Formats: sequence, C-alpha cells, structure tokens
Amino acid sequence: MKIALNWLAKYIDLPSSVDELDRLLTFAGIEVEGITPMPALPETVFSARILSAEPVPKSDHLHLCKVDIGSYSYPEKDENACVQIICGAPNCRSGLMVLIAMPGTALPEFTISKAKIRGVESHGMLCSEKELGISDNHGGIIELPSDTTIGVPANELYGLPDTVFELEITPNRPDLLGYIGIARDLSAKLNRPLRMPEVKLPEPVSTQLELPLKLINQNRDLCPRYTARLFSNVQIKESPLWLKSCLIKSGLRPINNLVDITNFVLLEQGHPLHAFDYSKLAPIANEQIPAIVIRTAENKEEFISLDSKSYLLDGDELVIADGEKPSALAGVMGGKISAISQQTTSIVLESAAFEPGSIRKTSYKHKISTDSSYRFERHLSEYTVEAASLRAAQLICELADATMCSTVHDDWQSPSVPIILGIRPKRYEQVIGYYMDGDKIMDFLGKLGLSFLQYGNWKPGQIASIEDVFCHHGEEMKRGVTEFTELPDCVHTLYFRVPPYRVDLEREIDLIEELARLDGYDAAPARKVQPSIMDRHAYRIKRQMTDYVVSRGCYETLNYSFTDAALMQKLGYNANDPEMKMITLRNPQSSAMSVMRTSLIPQLLINLAYNINHGEKNVKLFELGKTYLLDNAKHVELVQLSAVITGVDRDEHWQDKAVKLGLYHAKGLVEELLELLGISGCTVSAVNKPFLASGDGYSYIQNDREIAYFGKLSAPIAEAFGIDLIDLKQDVWLINLDADRIVELCRYINLKFKPIPRYPSVTRDLSFLIDDSVMYRDIRDGIMSLDSSIIGDVSVFDEYRGKQIPEGKRSLSIHIKFQDLEKTLTDERIDHLVESVITMLKETWQINMR
Amino acid sequence: MREQLNELVQQAEKDIQACSNQNDVMNVKAQYLGKKSLLNGLFARLRELPQEERPAFGNLINESRTKIENLIDAQAKKVKEAAWNSKAAGSNTDLSMPSIFSAKGGYHPLSIIRKEIDDVFISMGYEIAEGPDIEDDFHNFDALNTPANHPSRNLADTFYLVGGGLLRTQTSTVQIRVMESFAPPIRIASPGRCYRNDKPDPSHSPVFHQVEALVVDKGISLADLTNTLSQFASIMFGANVGTRIRPHFFPFTEPSAEMDISCVVCGGAGCRVCKHSGWLEMGGAGMVDPNVFKTVGIDPEIYTGFAFGLGIERIAMLKYNIPDMRILFENDLRMLRQFRGESR
Repeated sequence: MKIALNWLAKYIDLPSSVDELDRLLTFAGIEVEGITPMPALPETVFSARILSAEPVPKSDHLHLCKVDIGSYSYPEKDENACVQIICGAPNCRSGLMVLIAMPGTALPEFTISKAKIRGVESHGMLCSEKELGISDNHGGIIELPSDTTIGVPANELYGLPDTVFELEITPNRPDLLGYIGIARDLSAKLNRPLRMPEVKLPEPVSTQLELPLKLINQNRDLCPRYTARLFSNVQIKESPLWLKSCLIKSGLRPINNLVDITNFVLLEQGHPLHAFDYSKLAPIANEQIPAIVIRTAENKEEFISLDSKSYLLDGDELVIADGEKPSALAGVMGGKISAISQQTTSIVLESAAFEPGSIRKTSYKHKISTDSSYRFERHLSEYTVEAASLRAAQLICELADATMCSTVHDDWQSPSVPIILGIRPKRYEQVIGYYMDGDKIMDFLGKLGLSFLQYGNWKPGQIASIEDVFCHHGEEMKRGVTEFTELPDCVHTLYFRVPPYRVDLEREIDLIEELARLDGYDAAPARKVQPSIMDRHAYRIKRQMTDYVVSRGCYETLNYSFTDAALMQKLGYNANDPEMKMITLRNPQSSAMSVMRTSLIPQLLINLAYNINHGEKNVKLFELGKTYLLDNAKHVELVQLSAVITGVDRDEHWQDKAVKLGLYHAKGLVEELLELLGISGCTVSAVNKPFLASGDGYSYIQNDREIAYFGKLSAPIAEAFGIDLIDLKQDVWLINLDADRIVELCRYINLKFKPIPRYPSVTRDLSFLIDDSVMYRDIRDGIMSLDSSIIGDVSVFDEYRGKQIPEGKRSLSIHIKFQDLEKTLTDERIDHLVESVITMLKETWQINMR
Repeated sequence: MREQLNELVQQAEKDIQACSNQNDVMNVKAQYLGKKSLLNGLFARLRELPQEERPAFGNLINESRTKIENLIDAQAKKVKEAAWNSKAAGSNTDLSMPSIFSAKGGYHPLSIIRKEIDDVFISMGYEIAEGPDIEDDFHNFDALNTPANHPSRNLADTFYLVGGGLLRTQTSTVQIRVMESFAPPIRIASPGRCYRNDKPDPSHSPVFHQVEALVVDKGISLADLTNTLSQFASIMFGANVGTRIRPHFFPFTEPSAEMDISCVVCGGAGCRVCKHSGWLEMGGAGMVDPNVFKTVGIDPEIYTGFAFGLGIERIAMLKYNIPDMRILFENDLRMLRQFRGESR
C-alpha cells in the first residue's frame, strides 16, 4: 500500500525525518518495502494556458502552440504574454490548462532547453505526469482544471515535495489498510493525538426530491450489513486537483469525481464503497421502484464487469443485483450496466460489510483481485460501514454538487456485540518479561481506540457485560482514588472495549502483543548470553574421527591409562626422548602399571599380539585416548588417535576379492580423515620413529608440528612385542593422529561454495617413463602450477614396471582435466596446453612421452 | 515401374523381418528410407511417366513408403523388447550367496554406553564438560568437602603421583572446575576416566569410567533430582524401569543418596544379579553441599543444585550381561565384534 506523507500528515503530526518514520513503522510491525522521494520541481514549472494549437505542416502529431504564461518573466514572451511551443501530445488542444516547463528547467530525467523543431522555435515543454516524476502516466500532457490560475507553481498544485512509503500490511491487520489506520497506530506509538477528518453533512433536502429504492437482503450470512445513500442532481466531472494528486501519489488513476471520491474514502478509511447509477437499476418484476437485491448468483448467470469482461457465475458468488441482473460482484467489482457515466445524475452509494471467506472465494475463482476485494477478504467490520458512507456523502455533496436524500437505507439486523477484554499487567510481565503499569497500558490501548471501562477481578475470555467483573474498588480506581495501601486483589485486571475495526483483538494475549509491539520489543530486558561450557566443536570432531575409523573397519580398544616404562624402551625410545619423560605413580599396583602412558602404540601392539595369538589374521584396532606428558614438570593431557592394521582390507568374499593392506591403505586412512575434516596443505616428510621401518611412511606437518604419521612396523620391534612378521607373512601398519591438534586446526575452517562450471571439461591422457627418483607428487604439482585457472585436476590411473621398462624406471599414465569457467575449450587451446605440459615435463625431468 | 515398386516392397518386408538387433534395423532403415534409397530413386523417375499417371503413382510410392516405415518401427520395437526380456529372464543367480559388505569395524561397548548417555543428557539440554584425569588435592578432595584426614584419601584408595598430583577418584572434580569458571544456571554431564587403587577382579578395575551430572540454578530441589533420575533411567533402560533413592553419605552432597533402578534382569522380582533384592545400585547422588558452593563462590542462599554419578562399566555389564569387568579391558576381537551391531 502506498502512503504519501503529506496526506498522512493531515491525520497526525509526523516525526521530522523520513528515517525516523521508517524506523517507527518497522518496529511497530508495519514493514516498509520502499521509500520513494518526490522532490520539489523547479519554480520554472507552473500552470499556463494553451491559447491556440495549430497542426505543424508535414507532421502527423505535432502542434504549434501559443501558450499564455501570464506574468512570468521571459525575454521571448510576445505581447500577449505567450510563448511558442511545439507539442507532440495527442491531447494537446487550444484552451487547455497545462503545466509548462520553461527552458533551463532540470526535470528528473532531462533538462529543457530552447529548441528548433521542424525549423520552428519551441520555448519550453508542456509536461506529462511521468516527465515531472509524479506518476508513470505518459498518456498525454497534464490537463489541469480549467479554473486554475496561470502561473501557479507545480509544487503548489501537486503538494511537492512529498515522500511515498510503500507498506506491507500483515493479513491480520485489515484496519491498517487505510491512511487513518496507519495514523492511529503511529498515534499510539508516538503518543500524539489522532486527527479524524471532520464530517459535516448538509441538511438533507425536502422529500420532493426523495428517490425511492427497494432494498432486499436475501443473505445476511454473507452480507451482515448493507447501507445505501441516494443522491440526485449529481454532476459527474473531473475531480479537483487536490483529490487527483492524493490518488495519483497512492498509485490510483483519477477517473471522475464520483469514482475518485469512493477511491479516496477507500484509501482514507480503509473501507471500500461502490456507487451505482440509480437510473440503471431495474425494479423487481411487476413493481416500479428500482431495487437492490443482495443475493447469491444463479447458476450460469452472466455478469458483465466495469471493464466489459463477461463472467459466468456458478451460484456461490454473492452479488448485488437490481430487480433483474447482477449489478456488482459484491465487494469485488462493479458491473458495466449500472456504472457511473458522464450522463449519470442520480446515484446509490453502497457501503457494506461482507463475509471475508465468500469474497476470497469469488475473487480467487474468477481471478479478480481489486483494492476492494483485497480489503474485504481480510475482514472489515460492520461498524466501519457508517463512517465510510458518511465521509463519502460529505464529499459527494461538496464535489459533485449533489443533493442527498434523507432516507438512509440500512439493513442491519443483528449488530455484533463489541468485545470486552481484560488484561492483567502481571500476565504481561509473565509473557513479555517486564512489568507494564496500568496507566501505560491505558495510554497505549486508548490511542489504539480501545476504551477503558473498569478495573476488576480477572475473568478469562471475552466478557459479555462489564457488570460481571464489577467491583467498587475498580470504580474508585477509575475515579482516581488511589489511597489503597496495597492494591486489592480485585483490581489486577484492566477491562477495555475493543473498537469494532480491530477484528484481530479477541483475547488477552492479543492485547499483550499490541502493548509489546508499541512499547518496542527491545524494551524486553536483554539477558547476557550464557557462555558455552561444552566445546561442541571438539566433541563433534572427535566423534567424527572415531566414526570414520570404525567405518574403515577398525575396532575400538580401551586400555589402561598407566603402563610400563619398559614398553617404551621396547619401542626403541631412549632415555633422552621426550616420550620417556613419564609421569610416575607413587603407589603403583605393579611395575606394569607404574607410569602414565605417553603413547597409545605399545598397548595397541599388545592387543595385536594378543589377538594374533588367539588366531586372528586380520586385525584392525584403534584407540582414541589421552596420553600424559611431562612438559617442564607440568602435566599435559593430549588426546591421540592411534591405529594398528594388518591383514586384508575386508572379510574374504567369494566374488569381490579382498586386498592385502599396504602402504596406500595406511596412507589413505590418514589422508582421507584429514580431507573429511577439511584440513589441507600439510607438508610431508619421511617418517622417523624408532619402531617404524625407514622410508615406508610419512609425517604430516602443519605449522612446524607433526599432526599425524603412518608407517610400517619394523620386524625387530614386532618381535619384541611377540609378533613374528615372517611367520605372519603380512606387514603391520601403524597410524597416529594428534586428535587435539587436529580439532584446533579445523575449528575455524570456512568453506565457500564455488560456482558449478557451465562449460564441459575435457580430459586428456599422457603416458611416460620416469626415473624412480622422480616423485609423482612433484609431477602433479608441476602440471597443476602451469595454468591453475584451466588445469582442474591431475590424477594417475596406471603405474607399470616390467619387461619393456628399463631397470630404475617406471611408466606412469595420467589424466589431465581441463576446465575453463568462462567458455568452452577448443581443441586448439587444449592441444596447446598439452604441448606446454609435455615441454615442461621434458625440460624439468627429461621425460619423453611414450 | 509398378512391378519394380512391388518387388521393392516385398524385398523390404523380408529384410526387415530378418533384423535381429537394433543395428540391423538402423541399416535397413537407411537402405530403404534414406536419401539414396531405391524408393527415392523411383520418385526421381516419376517424370518418365505420362503426366496423367504421375499423381496416382506418386501416391502409390508414398503409400509404400509409409508401409515400410510402419514395418520398420514395429520390428524396432520387437527387437528392443526381445533384448530387454533376454536380460531379465534366464538368470541363474543364487540370491543367498553372501553380500558384499564394506570393512567391518565397531565401537568398544564402554564407548557405546558412554555415547548413549551423552546423547540422553544432550537431548535433555545438558552440556558435556570434560576435565583432566590428573588432578590436585583441591579439586579431588578439598573443594568437594572431603577433609584432609578423610579415609578416602588413603593410599589404598587413591593413586598419587611422584612430584605431586593424583589421579582423580571420581568425575565430580569437573563440577568444581566448571563452577569455578561459569556462573549458574549450569547443566552439565561430565563423562571420563577415574582411578582407584583396586586390584582388577570381576567387579573392580583400577581404571574405570563415570558420568557425573550437575545442575545448579535457582529453585533446584531433591524433587528435580528424583525426576531427572527417573527420566534418565526410562530413556536408558526403558519406560518400565523403576527408580528409587536411599539416604547415604557423600562428603560433597547434603542430603546424599544412593540411587537404584529396578533390576533390568528380573524386572524387580528378585534374581541372582540383583541379589534377590529387585534393585540394582546405579550410583551416588544428592544435593550439592553448601560448602561446595561457598568454595567456588556461588551463593548457596540463592542457588541450589543436585549432582549424581553413574558407573559406565556397571551399566555396560548389566545391559550386556558381561560377567567380569576385566573382559572390557582385554580388547579381544571376539568380544569387540559382538558389539558391531550396537555401534550406532
């Protein structure tokens, strides 16, 4: 909904800044979707009259106009105070009051200058609304009312500068679908008075001019209230400029005074109206008096809308009919036959309340959504019918010189009873978190239009009669008696009558919401955020590590935290190694449990030997546990994950043969886990542990610290732990991950999505012989670094040593994947890239392709 | 020419029916309907005919063409369906042969119980807090209201370290560490290793695992403790399990209690496991002693709290019917494999 501030300011004093209003509305729960400033126009745009308009020869649309600019001072003005202007607008004609922009005027999109068109001088421009930035209407030049004085600045005529707020009203607040509703909420939020428009009706005239009407309401469920006012001597003409500009700024097109008035009231009061041409209303069969019949449509009944479209009704729709046929789809759209036209002289003004569900169904079924249906389907009260009708009546009398008939037809059989609700300040505190006293509650709710009735005892739900909660204390409180030493129990509830336009206020909690919203949600006391006791990241990562190792076929072991120092010596450690600086128990049960473990490996080897001795061939064990280190006499507890694996990669299977666990399995266990945790960029070096065979493992180093290693258990160490590798006929692989450090390394990793390539990738294969001394990793890095924007990946798919390959060499086959993010790769480009790879391999390692 | 056309159609029919795979069909299609087909050749020869015969013969060619097209489409469908059916039928697979599994691994039963307990507490809004195994006298004894000459400080019960320090005898030490650093409200569960100088035997181990729960807030009462215990027990052991607490003594709780659950083996009727009492002892519990609060700087007039501790080995042994605690530390694959199905 578009709200222009100059209009809104008629009902309430607005805050001085637009930003402040934006903030106020937003935090009152009214979403501001956009703010469009309408800046002041230069003073060189003003009203003027076209004295003559002659077609320009050889042009099908240009006119040469003499335009009277009155007393405006302009050097090239002629003796009749006229300037010459070429105008191409279709509605350009002599006698028209227009808005002229004189040469030098800077308009929103361009600057006017003196010009020569078809050899004729043109001193300025006659403007359309769009050219002035008032609306999007570019149908022709502005036609001002003919009684406008020449020389009035456009700013004055259109109320500029102005600002238009585009507001999003939530579906629970139909009362906000008009200027007054918005002003009322602001009045409560700002604690400023609301100025309702003063409605003064002329005295109804004598009964000779009374127009007879037969009003029949056949469906009170769908139309609980229908009112009709009749007017004669109506003059259909243009609306005054103030009314037009109100509509234009709120996004509506002016049509004629009567239609504009109903639209104005719709915008102001939020309640849609409709006007019928009285003379077009047919009487009921065999009668003479024009009729309005509120009924549901007949099946297959035709309805022709204002915009000449035909709709076939199916009988569910509520229609406003005359004695014969539908004149309007109730609350949705008017009909063509009874529409207001230039010839209309007497009218029926409808103001009614409709059942929202029925309006919604009709609007949805026939795909007609109007400003009217939008409001009715959100539920408008039966009570706002009256105010809207009165306001329109006043304007019709004033602006259409109409005579109002004295009879007001009002079919209202069972007015709904206004709701009375109680609110307990204590309950407010319970729900919102702070106490709001009775005075403040009265202030806020009073501004919203609720009337305070009484203090009283708490009674849940809607109150039928205030007598039900009456108590004399409440009466005294209301009168201002406050000399109670302590409030009596009976006055802890404030009772209010809810105004009928607030159909959304039905329970105490609805009032609490209103109060909290108006006081601002930030008034609720903020508590300090509790710091986290749990290290959720560490907890999750450790679980993920063990889940992974388990998924790779390892069984978890748990071993004592204390162990035997001799085991570390068996592993090959010397007294000087940090692993041998162990925390010693003062009162151990035995030497086997006399020191705290500094490594999980010895116990895993004992577990391995135990299981091999019990006939197991394929053993994969791990432990995630603490090791206990002495660091300068300080105790440090460090969680490690160690694993020992030997045998085949999985159970024997008759079809899918198991593979013997080797170096690349152990390596994969470490590297896949690091990859899963998002840790990349480790440097590697040959592992160096006294119990591992040299040259068959890696240490993984990040920030100069080892975070993981893997390697092959050396035969003498195995023997020391009772494992005969020759007998076993398989290698034993050890893996260790520094869990605590890995947890820290992945604590702040922040992955960012990369766009999916839109062009296909291309893969080329290369095969070549290399010396055993050349590392695949170096080759891969070398190729990748050639052009990282195009070379997406390098992977090896075959390694071969054998008959045709010389000793000390091997054959490698690799895929190179090319991917350009910007365009499709051409063969020439790839050939060129492959060539540069080959050249690089040759120059760096003297590698030739096979 | 008319004869030529008839021959062509007859030959086409034969060739089409001889197609046994999709490739053949494609070839025949190219042969009879392609740009250089005989049929197209006949079209080119139309002008050899007298003007008046041309339309009729043109129609005839078109009809033949349509006929051949239909035959080809029908044969293509037939050939394709035959191929599908040949793949579907004639299978002599023995479905009962063993499936392909990925490598089989699993968690240790104590970890399984620990994770389950963690998850129960996390789901009840607790945070998991851990602390060091190596502790000082203050956190293990003094702060827990255990005076210097208390019998539990004996060498026979506690492992002490050369150069100072000891191995914590219960996870209550984490209570103290958390309360030292964080203000209430506090809801934590602290699982971890504990140490007591007991010789390994069927029901003792010098290294064992506990979970301790601690709740500190305004208005926490013994009723909250019993409610939490029964809620915990019903999640861990099933909705039908009963709980009770009995008065007991711990230095750091007042009142103190021991908590029991109804025997998970006999359901409370009495059996060998529960020594015919119908109840199984689960651990210690109680309201946090005001002295403990004072030590960590929490005002016991404002805050109250409860704590309880559970032995993980005991729960595992009960739940899985493991007769001897030492089995849990042997790491025998024949034991570990049994719990693969619990590693969820």
